[in-house]
Amino acid sequence: MSHIKTISKNDLNNFINKLIDDKTYEVVGVKSKGKRFVFGALENANELRLDHDVTIIPPKKYFFPQYERLMDFNLEKQFDVKPNKDMKPRIIIGIHPYDVIALEQMDKVYLDSQTDDFYKRRRENTILIASDIKNVSNRSFAASMNTNITDKGFDLLLTNIENKYAITIGSEKGKRLLEKYAKIEDAKEADIKKIDTARKKTLNKYKKKVNISKEDWPSILVDNYDSGVWEERSDKCIECSSCTMVCPTCYCYDIKDELSLNLKTGSRIRTWDGCLLRDFTKVGSGEVFREETKERYRHRFFRKGNYLPARYGFIACVGCGRCGIACLPDIADPSDVINSLSHHRISDDTTKFFIKQETKVAETNIIHVPRKATIKRIDNLTDAEKLFEIELDDKKPLGHKPGQFVEVSIFGIGEAPFGLASPPSDSFSFEIAVRKVGNVTSKLQEMSVGDKIGIRGPFGNGFDIKAMEGKNLLLTSGGIGMYPMRSLINYVLDKKNRKKFKQIIILYGAKRPKEILFLNEVEEWKKCDDTTCKLTVDRCEQGECWTGDIGLITTLFPKIRADKLDSKNTISVVIGPPIMYKFVIKCLQTLGIPDENIFVSLERRMKCGVGKCGHCQINGVYVCKEGPVFNFKDVKNLPEAFE
Amino acid sequence: MKQKPRVAVFDFADCEGCELEIADLEEEILDLIEIVDIVSFREVMKEHSDNYDIAIIEGSVMRPMDEKRLRDIRSKAKILVALGACATIGGVNKIRNQWMHDEVLRTVYGEAPIHGNELFNVFKTKALNEVVPVDYYIHGCPIDRDEFKHVITALALGKKPEIPRYPVCVECKKNENICQFELGAYCLGPITRAGCKAICPTHNSPCEGCRGLIKKAETECVWEVLERYNLSYEDIRRRCTMYNYGKEECKVDE
Repeated sequence: MSHIKTISKNDLNNFINKLIDDKTYEVVGVKSKGKRFVFGALENANELRLDHDVTIIPPKKYFFPQYERLMDFNLEKQFDVKPNKDMKPRIIIGIHPYDVIALEQMDKVYLDSQTDDFYKRRRENTILIASDIKNVSNRSFAASMNTNITDKGFDLLLTNIENKYAITIGSEKGKRLLEKYAKIEDAKEADIKKIDTARKKTLNKYKKKVNISKEDWPSILVDNYDSGVWEERSDKCIECSSCTMVCPTCYCYDIKDELSLNLKTGSRIRTWDGCLLRDFTKVGSGEVFREETKERYRHRFFRKGNYLPARYGFIACVGCGRCGIACLPDIADPSDVINSLSHHRISDDTTKFFIKQETKVAETNIIHVPRKATIKRIDNLTDAEKLFEIELDDKKPLGHKPGQFVEVSIFGIGEAPFGLASPPSDSFSFEIAVRKVGNVTSKLQEMSVGDKIGIRGPFGNGFDIKAMEGKNLLLTSGGIGMYPMRSLINYVLDKKNRKKFKQIIILYGAKRPKEILFLNEVEEWKKCDDTTCKLTVDRCEQGECWTGDIGLITTLFPKIRADKLDSKNTISVVIGPPIMYKFVIKCLQTLGIPDENIFVSLERRMKCGVGKCGHCQINGVYVCKEGPVFNFKDVKNLPEAFE
Repeated sequence: MKQKPRVAVFDFADCEGCELEIADLEEEILDLIEIVDIVSFREVMKEHSDNYDIAIIEGSVMRPMDEKRLRDIRSKAKILVALGACATIGGVNKIRNQWMHDEVLRTVYGEAPIHGNELFNVFKTKALNEVVPVDYYIHGCPIDRDEFKHVITALALGKKPEIPRYPVCVECKKNENICQFELGAYCLGPITRAGCKAICPTHNSPCEGCRGLIKKAETECVWEVLERYNLSYEDIRRRCTMYNYGKEECKVDE
């Protein structure tokens, strides 16, 4: 058992002081703050407290800081951005096993197929000296989550055994650190027994327990989605989001641009966000997708106990008890919530709110750092909308599919998602349509040909064009749903592709005649072989010239001679405002089109585009990754999809 | 380059502390005048012009003559920004709204001959938006200089400033403070708009609500919290009087 050493208390202090004096590393550890504990820079070993119960916020802050400069930009030049690479190597001392496990979980999220480069650099540059738990927080239920002890995830692990410490070596890095700085001895068999004894002694100190095993969390939650518990408890919620701020497994973030007062330089800042806050799901147009406190409150527990487990295979709660301490009305403690649900039945279908979909995430740069692009052409579409042709400066085609989206950056203003409006092509350029709704769209509309912007993407799943081949297509769009639909229509009507599809019916509804998009193209579509194209407006105000149909989009369905449509061989695509889906889908079902033949494109707040920031979630599904295009069959049972 | 926006700074009933925060930008004031033209700012300059795009106004409205002056400013400004708690929510000036004006005047001025003097002709204290529409708000008592910079740079860029709509707790937790409730104090942090970087609780002083309440103090969930910490509702109500007398909660965009 040579990987376990012992060190006297005095030598442990010397070891830590040597690390501090050496100045190779920034040495941080647990210190007292009033009656509580925090991780902070150590000036000498005496400050270190290994008898702490829990820190106010987790050591996550060293890997994913509260406020993090992702990149700096210079607005005096057209496009000048430098990712932030500052970081001194760091040693963190005193991390409890539950926090070590929380970091391992975070690795799965941040170091998956889309690596978060900022997180990764910090992770690689940090040495973790963990510490076994001696005193248990009265809100902790780590023992019920099997996170009270761990045998991996650390470089070194300290266990207090009577008048000295045992050190378990967890990595080569840890071993080298000991060799260089510490005076240690090999642990004797008696010492190793004492580690066990110390842990057992701690185990008896847990006051909080979860009545069911953590493997049952996903199913118990599924069965209780509509339980009265959510409302009953969230009635007391003051919506401060403290629960998410102190949580070691809350990973959601927001990104904002900050500018110096001279408007010359600035930084893109990432900061912790919380799903309990109302604006968390707010999109540019002002819509909030989780409007009620109850829905946001429930979301937090489902994310921890069902959505992340379905995606990554772990329960995203380590039982540290921080949220229980931080929550003023005391409604945030997951052990209380799960215990209050535990008498309900247990279902088998635990992944009901998740869609497993293989997605290739396509950040070619460092995560969040956009590629430089140039505005090549701007067309006015309507009074409020413009079409932009954009070319990547690296002269590479974007390589997108219809239905995918890009994130457009204007440094100093921010970033926003845009559905691609042009069909896939070999050319270097692509098009997006822009309606003025927020800061990014307003600024974009003021820009000129030749101006530089940033592009990330393409992101998300586009339309499965292969599945459409040999079928009739019924393409329904409303309002700005025409932006992404145009990409698909121009692809399928392209002479090269047209024969791959049978009859094509295009239905399009705009609010008013002056809001009709791409009218010239609509006229062209009408002329295509075996293609029907119907247009309607919701209303026509006095003085507006319109001789076509007036009525909601659903009024077009009786006009397409649907009785002749071979519905089983028809693929239908619906893109429009949230309110439209319910009604149009009903029409499609009346026509006999099976649910699996219906595709929808859903809008949410796609902030990061790479399945990390958490804003675009519909239940367990990330719209930016698994969507925005979905098969209706997959999403129809997601309660948050078509509210 | 586009013409720089012309900015005028005005004050009503206030301590001029928020204006002082602007003057206190020190060398950064040079950056400020680089991006905007300050055409009027009584506290720091003697020049004055009535030709401005953006009016930044500190202070509350106390008298008919203030109301007239404010309407006049509004008619000249394309954008009106309320600066500091007195302007955004009425702030400490509203404390006097709980008493009769005569009583207040007698207490403060005693038998001084103020009768008939227009300067002492007061009505109930009002925040700016009780008199004219306000476009943007820079909250706080005093304001946070970084937030001022954020608002002014946003306006100079033609962007809508983003002011937090979540409570102080979010920033307080990020600062890793011990909760004031845990220390036995009344703190308005859970119901007060963030954006101040939780400066008061970070320096071990409970939040007084100077940035405006985003949730009513008289909601059941707040009562529950008070009860849990053995605090009385009456006391938290009194605490709200400091900055938020008569104002239950702010609308999201205020």
